[in-house]
Amino acid sequence: MKVRIGFEIHEQLATRTKLFCRSPADYRDAEPNTNVCEVCLGMPGAKPMGVNAEAVEGVIAIALMLNCELVREPVYILRKHYDYPDLPSGYQRTSMPIGKNGELAGVGIWEVHLEEDPGKYDPVTGRVDYNRSGVPLVEIVTAPDITSPEEARNFMRELVKVLHYSGRVRREGGTMRVDVNVSIEDGARVEIKNINSIKGLYRALKFEITRQKNLRRRGKAVKRETRAYIEEQMITKSMRTKETAEDYRYIPDPDLPPLRITEELVERVRSELPEAPHQKLQRFMQQYRISRDDAWAITSEPEMADAFEQVCGQVEPGRAAAFFRHIIKKTLNYHGMSFAESGLTVRDILAVLGAISSGRLSQQAAELVLREVVERGAEAEELIQRLSKLDEQSLASAVEQAIRENPGAVQDYRSGRREAINYLVGQVMRITRGRADAEKALEMLQERLS
Amino acid sequence: MSRQALGEAEENLARRFEEIERRDREINSFIELNPHAQEEARRAEKLGGRLAGMTVAVKSNINVRGLRATCASKTLENYVAPYDAVVVERLRREGAVILGMTNMDEFACGSSGESSYFGPTENPSAKGRIPGGSSSGSAAAVAAGFADAALGSDTGGSIRNPASHCGVVGVKPTYGLVPRHGLIDLAMSLDQIGPIARDVRTAALLLEVIAGSSREASMLDVEPQPYSQRLSADLSGIKVGFAKEYEEVTSPEILGVVKRALRRLEAQGAELVEVELPNLEKALPTYYLIVFVEFFSATRRYDGRRYGYRIEEVCGEEVLRRIMLGSYISQKEYAGRYYRRALQFRSLIRRELLQALEEVDVLAGPTTPKLPHRLGERLTPLEMYAYDLLTVPANLAGIPAGVVPAGRVNGIPVGLQVQAKPLQEQVMLNVMLAAEGRA
Repeated sequence: MKVRIGFEIHEQLATRTKLFCRSPADYRDAEPNTNVCEVCLGMPGAKPMGVNAEAVEGVIAIALMLNCELVREPVYILRKHYDYPDLPSGYQRTSMPIGKNGELAGVGIWEVHLEEDPGKYDPVTGRVDYNRSGVPLVEIVTAPDITSPEEARNFMRELVKVLHYSGRVRREGGTMRVDVNVSIEDGARVEIKNINSIKGLYRALKFEITRQKNLRRRGKAVKRETRAYIEEQMITKSMRTKETAEDYRYIPDPDLPPLRITEELVERVRSELPEAPHQKLQRFMQQYRISRDDAWAITSEPEMADAFEQVCGQVEPGRAAAFFRHIIKKTLNYHGMSFAESGLTVRDILAVLGAISSGRLSQQAAELVLREVVERGAEAEELIQRLSKLDEQSLASAVEQAIRENPGAVQDYRSGRREAINYLVGQVMRITRGRADAEKALEMLQERLS
Repeated sequence: MSRQALGEAEENLARRFEEIERRDREINSFIELNPHAQEEARRAEKLGGRLAGMTVAVKSNINVRGLRATCASKTLENYVAPYDAVVVERLRREGAVILGMTNMDEFACGSSGESSYFGPTENPSAKGRIPGGSSSGSAAAVAAGFADAALGSDTGGSIRNPASHCGVVGVKPTYGLVPRHGLIDLAMSLDQIGPIARDVRTAALLLEVIAGSSREASMLDVEPQPYSQRLSADLSGIKVGFAKEYEEVTSPEILGVVKRALRRLEAQGAELVEVELPNLEKALPTYYLIVFVEFFSATRRYDGRRYGYRIEEVCGEEVLRRIMLGSYISQKEYAGRYYRRALQFRSLIRRELLQALEEVDVLAGPTTPKLPHRLGERLTPLEMYAYDLLTVPANLAGIPAGVVPAGRVNGIPVGLQVQAKPLQEQVMLNVMLAAEGRA
């Protein structure tokens, strides 16, 4: 049975101020309801200021990176009316499309437009926090070109990568919201709301497709409706059917003149556009002569790609690529972190690579250093100092100490129980706090006890 | 403290408060007086400014920090404004003293001043008659001598209509000339704040203080002009248009006053020209459809969660009617039939007015088609809406329009309405000054 999946993706734009006022767009450290003014609270009489130019440019940049055509007609800002506690004026402002007919990874992009975030409502406590109210969002609407949850997941990863590359969206995470449309074999279209991660998206689709297929198998029709994804239970649940669908009574906002997306503006944004992920991938393969897999791993995040390029100024690219793809990626995956979140700097990476090539750091110790940096924000150089391998003399004295302190084990070894030497190696490691090269310690012990 | 010890501003204020105390029980032009007025007068005295010590009454749909902006509705009965409207900031900067918040038709939905939750306002210039609306209290307070001037708002005639009925001067500026930030919405694409005063010069002075660009999106990018200093009653070379369609819709006694005023303009050097406005009568339905839809949208925030009451549960019948009609016609299935067509007609009316104004400098004519009715007389909604027939075109077209007293019919004031091209407030005020001189 043929499955058709399409998305509406919302992500916050990384602007300095909100969309229609000058309250800061970054509210993360603010106490509830302090990052507000009369405009974003929708107080009686408050009027929107002009549309935030930074937000408009952000949407244009994203539309260009998704290969969209930019709209030349006046772009009206519409009021979408609905009644919910998080919406201070009873309507949400959303622009008509700014970009249209784009494409990414074989999936059609129907439109890209600008929208304002509502506040945050907690149904359990009944409290509303308007700090978020009025923060600019980009909304991306795709064609229903996706045919499986796996494809959906891959596409979303690709899209998230492009958004990150654009440099126009918030990187703190947790602000993306996805609505998904699913239909089977030209059956009714079901919309799923309330998805906010790629994992959630995958699970919601798995569940929903099974649900629809089961209905069909039992000869029942799939109803056209809106369902909510319940993350804790990994299921979708009906919110409203077509009959009770809301009428948003869209009107052009009389307080806001339409936007003009001029040729001049588009060209300026285009000239400042960052390299797209696939372009960077190609360039890395050619310029640094690294494999596609290496380049793919390194370009998974713009910040990591930038760091790689800087490292390559001082380290042979092949070696750097191997280190990024295997050691750094492994550490990040272990912590479930992005490179940007990890706090790793080019300086840290160069220090570790330098210590490995000078023989001061083993592969395992190098990983340990990275892990410490990521976990505790420690300085790599200091850690290297602490973890770098012992010189010959210190190792020898540690070996002497182990023999002196463990006469029993020495006795056992000499009396033929060869495995007792492993215990002594362990003791050397303990004494040197892991800095000893285990191979070398073993060799030295064997020599001393023979 | 003796009278002599009081400064000029304080003395003026004290006199106004005395008058209000003595007579406003009967007029009912204020909903709330400013408890800090005296302190503000003292400060204004020191500060000086173009309006130093001038007492200004403010319509209850304009935010004045610390005072209630009730919109004369139970819905916002307890809404204390947390911020100053931009116009109020500008008044204060020039030394004006805010007297208090005036009565009005509920949410500015009315043309008679009778639909306030706080009771109707009396017409001080024609006792027993309506003062007009919706800026009823602002016009009445000026007419009664309670205030030197007032701020009103005009969506389809709400400044001009009561100015005409109360015999005072009122100006609706070009759309986008005066910041609306702080003005509680009726219909956002039509609303403008403007001055009401006893003479053209004061109105011009107030307008130059409140006009000029601000940060809000729908503003024109223009510098304020010193209208009051450039006033001139010499109309030589000025063409004044009169549309023959005005005659078809206006009562003969009002037309008589208007015609006499036109002849006085002629005597001041103006050339009278007849123009055509064939779509004049389409303005009213166009206007109301737009108002219903925009007002419905504007009132969604009064959902009972933040401001005490859900508007539909406590408002008067006219406000409810407009919300219901707005909700009905903005439904997806009807939007094309009503709202979108109204916007098309709006363009048509705007084009027609601007075309007529290409041939002349101003249009001059009646303000309302009929005289104010007696307080308490029941009108059907359509009869009430008909008051706005001649004032709504200026709002639909976004052009400036002012009203100046032109004479009386059986003691009832009648105002002459003057309309001009966008941003041509100066020539409009000049013509108003010329008309005023001989009224």
